[in-house]
Amino acid sequence: MQQYSDTFLDNASAALADKDKADVRDAMALFTPLVRNAAMDQFQHFEELRQHVKQVRQHSLDNLGHYLESYEQQAVKNGNQVHFANTGDELNSIVLDICQQHSARRIAKGKSMITEETGLNAFLERANLDVMETDLGEYIIQEAGETPSHIVGPALHKSAAEIRQLFLDRHDLGERELETTEDLVSEAREVLREHFLNAQVGIIGANALIAENGYSMLVTNEGNGDLCANLPPVLIICTSVDRILPRAEDATAMLRLLVRSATGQAQTCYTSFYSGPRREQDIDGPMETHIVLLDNRRSDILASDYREMLQCIRCGACLNHCPIFASVGGHAYGWVYPGPMGSVLTPLLTSLEQSQALPNACTSCGRCAEVCPADIPLPDLLRDLRHAEIEEKIAAPRWRQGLRIHAWLARQPRLYQLFTGMGIALLHLLGRKRGSFSKLPLASGWTSQRDFPSPQGRTFMQQYKAERKHRE
Amino acid sequence: MSDSARASIFARIRHSGSGASAAEIAAAREALGRAPAANLPGSDLCSSFLANVLLNRGTVDVVGNRSEAVTAVGKYIYQHYRTHRLVAGNDPRLAAMPWRDAGVLPRFGELEAGETVALSYARLGVAEIGAVVTFTGKANPAANNLLPENHIVVVDVADLVPDMEMAWSRIAHAMTTEQRPRGINFIAGPSSTGDIEGKLVYGAHGPRHWHVILLGEVPQAALGEAQAIAAPAATTGELD
Repeated sequence: MQQYSDTFLDNASAALADKDKADVRDAMALFTPLVRNAAMDQFQHFEELRQHVKQVRQHSLDNLGHYLESYEQQAVKNGNQVHFANTGDELNSIVLDICQQHSARRIAKGKSMITEETGLNAFLERANLDVMETDLGEYIIQEAGETPSHIVGPALHKSAAEIRQLFLDRHDLGERELETTEDLVSEAREVLREHFLNAQVGIIGANALIAENGYSMLVTNEGNGDLCANLPPVLIICTSVDRILPRAEDATAMLRLLVRSATGQAQTCYTSFYSGPRREQDIDGPMETHIVLLDNRRSDILASDYREMLQCIRCGACLNHCPIFASVGGHAYGWVYPGPMGSVLTPLLTSLEQSQALPNACTSCGRCAEVCPADIPLPDLLRDLRHAEIEEKIAAPRWRQGLRIHAWLARQPRLYQLFTGMGIALLHLLGRKRGSFSKLPLASGWTSQRDFPSPQGRTFMQQYKAERKHRE
Repeated sequence: MSDSARASIFARIRHSGSGASAAEIAAAREALGRAPAANLPGSDLCSSFLANVLLNRGTVDVVGNRSEAVTAVGKYIYQHYRTHRLVAGNDPRLAAMPWRDAGVLPRFGELEAGETVALSYARLGVAEIGAVVTFTGKANPAANNLLPENHIVVVDVADLVPDMEMAWSRIAHAMTTEQRPRGINFIAGPSSTGDIEGKLVYGAHGPRHWHVILLGEVPQAALGEAQAIAAPAATTGELD
């Protein structure tokens, strides 16, 4: 997918200026944590389950070579063809080759963040294939020519009225009302069913790959992924190497966290496990199945200090709880993965240069780490990335210089207290009359948005020392 | 391309791996034990399963034997569709049911365009999540789960398990005598979506209605208890 993270600040400003969209985001930011919290309260064993799943994920990553090989063996035994792709381009070429071998024209696609990452749709469309997204949210944004704003609800940034207008414009179905959300869902159901029944290739993602039996897990509410997996004669599952779990029960243990964290449900409608092509006695199912496993720098992340990020189960809870995400929305992040998880993943999967603003789009409030079902220390990883921006000289020279001076000064307590004491006293004198500053040298980032209150005259350390003396 | 990609990916992954032997890895996984499951809402397996099916927006019937099951199916499809017809997979358990007694006319095979009701016989019912489990194959083609307006599923009381771990243990046991099925489907509700403004709507792509018939020795109070558990929650919304 085309990346525009380098203009994050401009993207964010533009998003904030659109009042209607900001209202939609506020409503979601109020609603989504409520349903998630209710589901976790009901479940009662959140912390115990989170620690268990975290340990299993870490164990899987520690032994990824072993489990990946075992998965591959089982998947081949189940009748699949397994492919490996170093990069997104490689994945796209593998998928296109398979489609072309079957002279396929129509592709029915289930929701897959991996193929968003690789930009598969655009790639296949350039080869004249007719690719249709079948998850309702993905379908809506595909028709609107947009990208996902959220990893779970890709079209949650759009109002029902906008979607109504979109359907009226895009579906040639004559005069009709489409008044309710139910009407919109029914219309999409009809339009998409025709596509399912006539597609030659189905493409889906996987929520987990099971090493012990070669099955892949697919979790949906709509059942669209299952239609893609069962109806077309060829099935391609696109996922990444870090989705491996040792046992089937590990996948369903993770599911307990995933569903509650993502949508506040206790269980999704369809949780399916697919092993391969149709069996000899079967009367349905694809004749041929392919699994394409993408690395795209995940093996580098595995070897790095950011390894914990690979524990992510893509539930979107950190997005729903992030004040920055709520304010600016998913599109501002400028790539596939937004919010806290995206601010860590995007620099690692693309480059820190291109996504320099993202690790700084954080108030360090810690809500993301609190709710993360994989217990990933997201604020710590974001801080490490900010540190790397300084180390690798990616941050602006003036900023680095400023931090260097500050760091040096902070390590000389006497000098630090002397300077801050003088600075505070000066600001107190200058601002005494007005009570605040509307402009300050070196602090335009603050004063461009709001006034800086004038200090009362003495620093904390000065007051603390005076108080101690007084007590003695 | 793929062969060299495979080699380089494995090389990078192995480089940062633990280097433990297969036996050590198996022992390490074993030591992690099993995950906590959700508490069952009811006083027994039947009431818990039924309550969770209701919470998943399914409807339920409880029957004591196959003859009652046939009657319940006949009544249900007549009430909803004024029909006696439905489609069912080639499941010997379904074929052996006394359909004529209730005037039901099943067609055995894969659902075709225009057919609105499909009937499945579940392999398992999972109380923890209020789900039925089916295997794809001749006995239950996938289209029968996914394409009808209305999906009716019969599940035996003897096939109820408390949680997903027990479900896997039963599935693994089944795989010792039969081939691995192409697909294992845990179904927990009618098809739904919350993709438009987070509002939950049923009948996204698959069935709009999901009716579960629990067959066997069900404790008398189970259905009433399940309904009481599910009642207060019936008005709360969820997000896709």
